[in-house]
Amino acid sequence: MEQTAKPKRSFKRPFAFPKNCVYRPLRQISNMEKNQKQSSDTPTYFTLNAPPSLIPAKKYSDISGLPAPYADPHTKLRYANAEEYASMQHMPSDIINGYLTVRGYTSAVG
Amino acid sequence: MAKRILIIDNGSYECRVGWQNSKEPELRFRNVLTKPRKDRKKEKNGTGDAGGNPPATADASSSALLAEGPAEIQVGNDITNIEAVRAHLKSPFERNVITNWNHQEQIFDYVFTKMGFEGSTSIDHPIVLTEALANPSFCRQQMSELLFECYGVPGVSYGIDALYSWEHYQQQQPKRGRDGLIISFGYSTTHVIPVLDGQLQLEHVRRLNVGGYHIITYLFRLMQMKYPVHLNAITISRMEKLVHEHCHVATDYREELVKWSRMDYYEDHIMKIQLPYNPVTASNALLTAEQKQEKRRELAMRLLEIKNRREREKMQEDEQQLQHFTKLRELYEQQKLQKFERALEQQQIKSLEELDELILTIKGRIQRIKKRPPTVPRSSKQDRMAKPPEGVSQEDWLNELRAKREKLLQRKQTRQQQRQEQAKRHTHAAQERMRIISSLARHEKRRKQPNGEEEDDGFGMNDNDWDVYKRINRYNDDSDSDADTEQLLEYEKILGHYDPNFDEAQPDGQTSQQSAAENYQLHFGVESIRVSEILFQPSMIGCSEAGLAELIDFVLKLFPADKQQRLVQHVYLTGGCAQFRGLKERLAKELLAMRPFQSTFEIYESPEPILSPWLGACLQARDSNFSRIMTTRKMYQEYGSNYFQSHRSSNPYYPTPKE
Repeated sequence: MEQTAKPKRSFKRPFAFPKNCVYRPLRQISNMEKNQKQSSDTPTYFTLNAPPSLIPAKKYSDISGLPAPYADPHTKLRYANAEEYASMQHMPSDIINGYLTVRGYTSAVG
Repeated sequence: MAKRILIIDNGSYECRVGWQNSKEPELRFRNVLTKPRKDRKKEKNGTGDAGGNPPATADASSSALLAEGPAEIQVGNDITNIEAVRAHLKSPFERNVITNWNHQEQIFDYVFTKMGFEGSTSIDHPIVLTEALANPSFCRQQMSELLFECYGVPGVSYGIDALYSWEHYQQQQPKRGRDGLIISFGYSTTHVIPVLDGQLQLEHVRRLNVGGYHIITYLFRLMQMKYPVHLNAITISRMEKLVHEHCHVATDYREELVKWSRMDYYEDHIMKIQLPYNPVTASNALLTAEQKQEKRRELAMRLLEIKNRREREKMQEDEQQLQHFTKLRELYEQQKLQKFERALEQQQIKSLEELDELILTIKGRIQRIKKRPPTVPRSSKQDRMAKPPEGVSQEDWLNELRAKREKLLQRKQTRQQQRQEQAKRHTHAAQERMRIISSLARHEKRRKQPNGEEEDDGFGMNDNDWDVYKRINRYNDDSDSDADTEQLLEYEKILGHYDPNFDEAQPDGQTSQQSAAENYQLHFGVESIRVSEILFQPSMIGCSEAGLAELIDFVLKLFPADKQQRLVQHVYLTGGCAQFRGLKERLAKELLAMRPFQSTFEIYESPEPILSPWLGACLQARDSNFSRIMTTRKMYQEYGSNYFQSHRSSNPYYPTPKE
C-alpha cells in the first residue's frame, strides 16, 4: 500500500525498509546501543550528553527576565518589582502556567 | 574522467546540496516536508482525474509530482507558505539524528529531482554526506541501505559538519596548528569538540542539547505570553527573523539586565516591532461619536422612507376600493338589485349594512392618514445629554458627579481587593469570611432570653443586614457591581461631555487611530539578550544541563594542563548561532574567568559560519585521496551495512560487536 502511494522516480529502485525500521525514536535507538555488548569506554551518541550543571541556577523574573528577588507563593511566578506583581494579579491562569512550563517548573503535587 | 561528487550537508535546520567543484551549494532548503491534509488531497485527485490535467497549484514544481501520483508531498522550498502548514511540518530529524527514514527518503527524492537526476536509472555519483557527531550506528546503517539499495549510489563518504568546517578554516589559515577546540552551534545541539594533532578526541566531546531551535521557540513562547492578543500574528517565521537579525549575546548578562531595568535605558533602547495593522477593519470601532450619530440618522431616514412608501401604497389601495364600493352603492340606489346582489356575492359581502360599514371604515382610514403630517426623523435619545437640575450651577453639579464617580471607583476597588484576599487562604479576609459563614449557619434567629421569652435578633429589619451575604460571596460579580459599572459609565459620559479636562474623555479619531496602530506593536527589549542567554544558562528553559561556559570548562578539565593550553590557543566558533553579535566577547570573558592567571587563549570565528561545512566537504571531495576514503558499493556488500570508511573528518569506526 505504501509502495503504490509513492510517486515513481526513474532513479529509484524498488526498496523498502522493514516496517519496524522506518521510524525509531531516539530513545529506542539508545536502548539498542545499550544492549549491544560494546566495551564500556567506547563513546556513543548518548555518552556525549553534557553533564548536569553544578552551578546553582540564577533566578530571573518570568515576566520580564530581570533578576528576580521575589517569588509569589500563590502562583509560583518569580517577579522583579511591584509593577510586575500588580500585572500578575490580572493574569489569566493559562498564561501563568505557560510561564511556568517555559521555565520547566513542575509542582511537587503534579 | 572521475565522476562528479555530490556534496550534501544534511543539517536539521537547512540542507545544502551542490557539486564538489561549485563555489557554493546549488540547492539550499529548509529540511522539512509537509503532507497536505487528506481531504484536500482527495479533492485534488478528483479534479485531476476528471479534467485529465493536473490542477493548477501555487508552485509549478509540485504539479510535476502531482501528475505522477496521489502522494503530493511538499518539501523544502516547494512549501510556499510555511506558516500555513506549520503544524503539519515533518522533519526526518530528532535532535540532530535522523530517525524517520520515510521522511529522509522524501527529502532525497526532492534533492535528486532538483539536481536533475530525473530520467536516469540510478544516482551514479558518489555522495559526501554529513551526519551527527557519534551518529548511532543503526542510523548510519539505515542511511547506507537507503543510498545503496534504493538509489544505487556507487559510493558514499560520511563526515561531521563541524570537522568539515574546521578543515575549511584550516585550509584558509595554513599556518595555524592542528590543535583546536571547536564550538559548533547547531539548530538543535551545541557541541564542544576538542581536536589534538588533527585528531578528533571523541571520548571528550560533549554535546549541549540546546540550539537555535530552542532560542527561537523560547522567543516565540515569551512573545505569545507577553501579547496574548496577537497570538496569531506572532509566528515562528517572524520570531526567526527577530532572532537572526536583532538578538545578540550579552557580554555581562547581569549588568545588561540591570541596565534594562532602568526606565530611561528602556526608553532609549526598546525596539518596537509593528505588526501588520489594517485600520479599515478596525474603523467601525474607531468612529467618533459624531460619525456614529450620523450613521444612525441615515439609518432612521431610510427606515422612515420605507414606512412612508408603504403607507402611500396602502392609501391608494383603499381609495380604489372605496371607489368600487361607492359604485356598488350607486347600483343599489339605481334599483339594479339583481346586478347589485351578484356583485355583493362576488365581494363576499352579506348585506347592505355591511357594505355601508365598510365604506365608512375605509373613509375613516384615508382621512386619518391624510390628516397626519409626514413623519420626520426624531432626534434620538442618544443625542440628549443629561442637564444639570434646576437651581444648581453646572459646576457644582459636575463636581458632585465627579465625587460620586470617585466613590464608585473606590467601592469597586475595595470589592476587588476583598475578592483577592478571600481567594487566598490564611488571610484575615478569608478567616473573617469563614467566621461569618459559621455564625450565619447557627440557625439561631430567635434567641431564648434567660427569662424564657424569645427575642428576635432583628436580622433583616434593616436592608443593610443582607449585605453580609454579599460579603461572603466569593465571586463578587453580583448585581451590585453591575449596577455600579453602569452608573459609572453614565457619569463618565456626562463628565466627558461637559468637562474638556476630563481624563477619561474619548480621544478623537486621529489619535485613537494612531494608538490603535501602536497596540499592534511588539516591544522587543530584554528579549534580545534573554533568548540567546539560554546557551549559557539552559536552566532558564528548565534544562538541567551545564551551560556553554561550564561545559567548556568541563571538557578542558578532561585533559592535562599542557593539552588544555594547546586547545584554548585555538577556540574556533562555527554554526548558525555563532553569528550572534557579542558571542566572541562573551566567550572571551568566560575563558578569562576559567583559565589560569596570565595564561593566553585565542578565539577565532569562522568566516563562513553556515556554509563552511559544505565548503570543507567540497575540499575533501576535490582531494586526490578521496577515492580512498570513500565507502564503495563493494565494501558495503562485502562488510555489511554498518561498515564505513573513516577519515580525519568523520566519526571513528567501531565494528559492531558480535553476539
